[in-house]
Amino acid sequence: MEKLFRDKKAICLFIAPGGILFTIVLLVPIAYAFYISMCDWNALTPPKFIGFENYLKIFTNDSIMKTAIKNSLFFTTFSLVTQQVLGLFLAVILSNLVKGKNLFKNIYYLPCVLSSAALGLLFSFLLNPKMGLNQVLAIFGVEGPLWLMDVKGFIPLPMWVIGTVATWQYVGTTMMLYMAAIAGIPSSLYEASYIDGANKWQSFKNITVPLIKPMAKTTISLTCIGSLKFFDLIYNMTQGGPNHKTEVLATQLYNEGFSYFKYGYASAISVVLLCMCLLVTFVINKTIKVEDYEM
Amino acid sequence: MGMKKVLAVLLSTVMMTGLLSGCGSKTEEAAAPTADATEEGAATEEVAAAEGDVEITWMFWDDLEATQDIMSQQYAETIKRFNEADNGYHVNVITTNLEEYDTKLNALIAAGQAPDVWICNPGPNMTQYVEADVVMDLTDVLNSDSAWKDSFTGGIFERLTYDGKVMGVPTNFAAACVFYNTEIFEKTGVAVPKTWDEFMDVCQKIQDAGYAPLTISAGTPWCLSMVAGYLCDREGGPDNLKGVADGSVKWTDASYVNAATKLLDLSKYFQPTYLGDSNDQATANFYNGDAAMLIQGSWAISQINGNAPEMQDKCGVFQFPGIEGGSDPNRWIVKTDNLLVSKNTKNVDACIALLKEFTGETSQKATAEIAGKMPIIDVEVDYSKAPKQLSYVQESMKTLTGTFGFYNESLDSVEAGDKFDNTMVSIVMGEITPEDGMAEVQKFYDENVYNK
Amino acid sequence: MRRKSRKKIPVTKVLIYTFLILLAVIYIAPLVWMFSVSVKTNAEVFASPFKLPEIIQWENFSVAWSIGKLNIAIVNSFIVCAVTLLCSILFGTMAAFAIGRMRWKLSGTIMTYFLLGMMIPVHCILIPLFVIFAKVSLNNSLLGLILPYITFSLPMTIFIMVGFFKNMPSELFESACMDGCSIYGCFFRIGLPLAKTGLFVTGLMTFVNNWNELLLAMVFISDVSKKTLPVTLTYFVGPYSTNYVQMFAAIVIAVIPTIIVYSIFSNQIVEGLTAGAVKG
Repeated sequence: MEKLFRDKKAICLFIAPGGILFTIVLLVPIAYAFYISMCDWNALTPPKFIGFENYLKIFTNDSIMKTAIKNSLFFTTFSLVTQQVLGLFLAVILSNLVKGKNLFKNIYYLPCVLSSAALGLLFSFLLNPKMGLNQVLAIFGVEGPLWLMDVKGFIPLPMWVIGTVATWQYVGTTMMLYMAAIAGIPSSLYEASYIDGANKWQSFKNITVPLIKPMAKTTISLTCIGSLKFFDLIYNMTQGGPNHKTEVLATQLYNEGFSYFKYGYASAISVVLLCMCLLVTFVINKTIKVEDYEM
Repeated sequence: MGMKKVLAVLLSTVMMTGLLSGCGSKTEEAAAPTADATEEGAATEEVAAAEGDVEITWMFWDDLEATQDIMSQQYAETIKRFNEADNGYHVNVITTNLEEYDTKLNALIAAGQAPDVWICNPGPNMTQYVEADVVMDLTDVLNSDSAWKDSFTGGIFERLTYDGKVMGVPTNFAAACVFYNTEIFEKTGVAVPKTWDEFMDVCQKIQDAGYAPLTISAGTPWCLSMVAGYLCDREGGPDNLKGVADGSVKWTDASYVNAATKLLDLSKYFQPTYLGDSNDQATANFYNGDAAMLIQGSWAISQINGNAPEMQDKCGVFQFPGIEGGSDPNRWIVKTDNLLVSKNTKNVDACIALLKEFTGETSQKATAEIAGKMPIIDVEVDYSKAPKQLSYVQESMKTLTGTFGFYNESLDSVEAGDKFDNTMVSIVMGEITPEDGMAEVQKFYDENVYNK
Repeated sequence: MRRKSRKKIPVTKVLIYTFLILLAVIYIAPLVWMFSVSVKTNAEVFASPFKLPEIIQWENFSVAWSIGKLNIAIVNSFIVCAVTLLCSILFGTMAAFAIGRMRWKLSGTIMTYFLLGMMIPVHCILIPLFVIFAKVSLNNSLLGLILPYITFSLPMTIFIMVGFFKNMPSELFESACMDGCSIYGCFFRIGLPLAKTGLFVTGLMTFVNNWNELLLAMVFISDVSKKTLPVTLTYFVGPYSTNYVQMFAAIVIAVIPTIIVYSIFSNQIVEGLTAGAVKG
């Protein structure tokens, strides 16, 4: 048994197809991007090596980058909190539902399978002062705010709105994964706890929570990484505007690279983004301890 | 789930695809006339390259078959004509949407697969390709064919010339003007304004009468910045643009600050939803009769008439008003679409032949008469065929003394243009005062332009 | 009341169902609105976004179908997604099995290596990848799309599947070993079938992500006959104006296959879940 699972040849064979693809399609271009991030390059003329100048500019002399980093961090926190709370809540409720479990689950997961670009467009329509939500509010005599244009405050309203839409779209994934984890818990454990006189809340606290911890780690990592490099919805709802107030790292990267053709600077932003993702993953791995339960 | 089930899923999806395509072709036959027009367009692609034809590629920012844009449809017609003609050439079209156009073009150029001919905006966008040395110098070609060269409208190459070299050929141009709803003007009893004060007065009267005087989009920043551009030029004239380019004029000078202040004044006459409206919605406000005036490029003509045919009879045009004590009020914002030829093309003759087809009389007449854009050669246009508004534009352009580009396309870089656009949006939103806004633009220039 | 209330309906139950139904309305309403836009005229959309259309413009669909060349696009999208799905699931589970189940020193490092892929924004490798692919004539071909699609689907597949393989009871593998099963047998006969739940989730995610992918498809493919569905949706966005109704019609058409595939697979997920719950 032990020997079988230490078979070097088999390991190589299992890893090879994915590993090779990864190296060609990702590692080589990333290495290239690392190099480019040290250059001044517009894709049309040869890159000019300028060392760490791009990085220096990101952190010292770019007010839009400050907004982008602030917004990205806000967006990540917001998504993390809402998706964890709502996702777990829905998963627990739906898992215990007798009737309509599949129906509700399928409805809540539905937006995850639709294109973010199309949904972004749809919501920019719905949140447009003339077209959607505000028309409904007007029926009740409420004058709706400029959902996507109001830039007052430290975290402007559009960021909250986009965060909410993102939660609307992606909470289904978190819910689904938690449901899978909950379904993986043997029902005998619950039965035993009820026999011992535990109520629902106690069994949730003492059985469900510890046993879905590995999944919590998964969903938290997924949400954080996904939120940090979030692009589609924002690009299609506000394009980072008005006046860069809703810019996040990925949209700023896109602007610099594909609107202003500063590929060097854009690559530097992507390296920063990559480092932030690595840092977040590292922190999650260090803080959430997962004990192995034999089930 | 075993392999069988996977297969079943695959099969059912394939079958569904078949079903869908089946019903697609059925409905196609019964489709409305709109579909006919597009099917005609679809024929473009079916003109196969004859044997031995020299093949070149042309890259464009709209899909030639699916497009609803009348100008793009005319481009499609030109391509079709070029491919059908027995000229020994065949052009293959690469299309993207506008959003991904530059990305894809740059990727192609970076990979050494530049298209032979591509379409390009004037200003910093074009400069970038010229400076990267990927564009062919057309000066000699034009000089050696004086008939072709002389057919162009005077001065049209001004913004396409770098160091005395002509780097591109225009295909049409559009002018920015004020469209107005004649019905609302009559009901309100106001006349076409000539000066800024009259204009503000007209706006006030229309607002009192219960209409939105002006529809504009701040959601699409260049729409707002077009008005800002006009104001800047009306205040300080051509010196303003030249001045900021070489540093002799500051963005914080009185003429720029005044222009920004006037824009802020004007903003009280915008439709209530201007901050959120996109370009399309702003235009729709006008053709739906909700707003009295629309400041837009002449390309809006086809959009207006296409969506609200009755508008054609009640849509007037006037030039952007002048400012008392300001500069020349007869200068117009114009924008050309241009064709650039790749420096590395193997088939120069075919490329030139394509340029000539685009700038030839047939294409140019159609540009004006059908698409409602301005031809770039001196050609007899039958204005009875063209949309009515086009002749109004031509009429009011008779007093034209000079032209300038969109402000955002006339500045140092695409980024500088964006900075200008965004600052204007911030100013009308009341987020920043005109003085502070212009100071920000100046700061951007100090750091990124003069300091380069 | 027709139903003889032998037992009281608990208040919490009513509350829960009210909440779930309200939430469902929030989920469905925007999609219904999207459908309603697709059967209007452009002028109607701007004039009265909430009113029902005067005449239902069914031809929006046929026009969108023919001018977007959606028949070709759907076939292309389907080929790309199917190949990507099969390959990424196969390669992904293989790697995940080796990482999660087998014992070797570098498994953690390799795992991190794969996970890097999740953290890379696609924009940052777009240009380098295009240049590389152009050198080997992989741009403008469906294979040139499939390769990066598989690559970008792998991290998610591996990430989720590693957990599944790790949590599998080792007794099963032990007894298989006793019966003389090879390591490959362990993977194909025991690992894969047991990981079914995970496969449905990752499979669905892979399919959906690639079905909707726009940027790579737009930049890599120039040939009209090779364009995928999301690219054709952009046809309706013009330089100065957008044909919203036909675009939404095309979006609705594009969404139908995802919903069909989704409804087939989503019920499978539940089956898988029930089966998965028996384990141990």
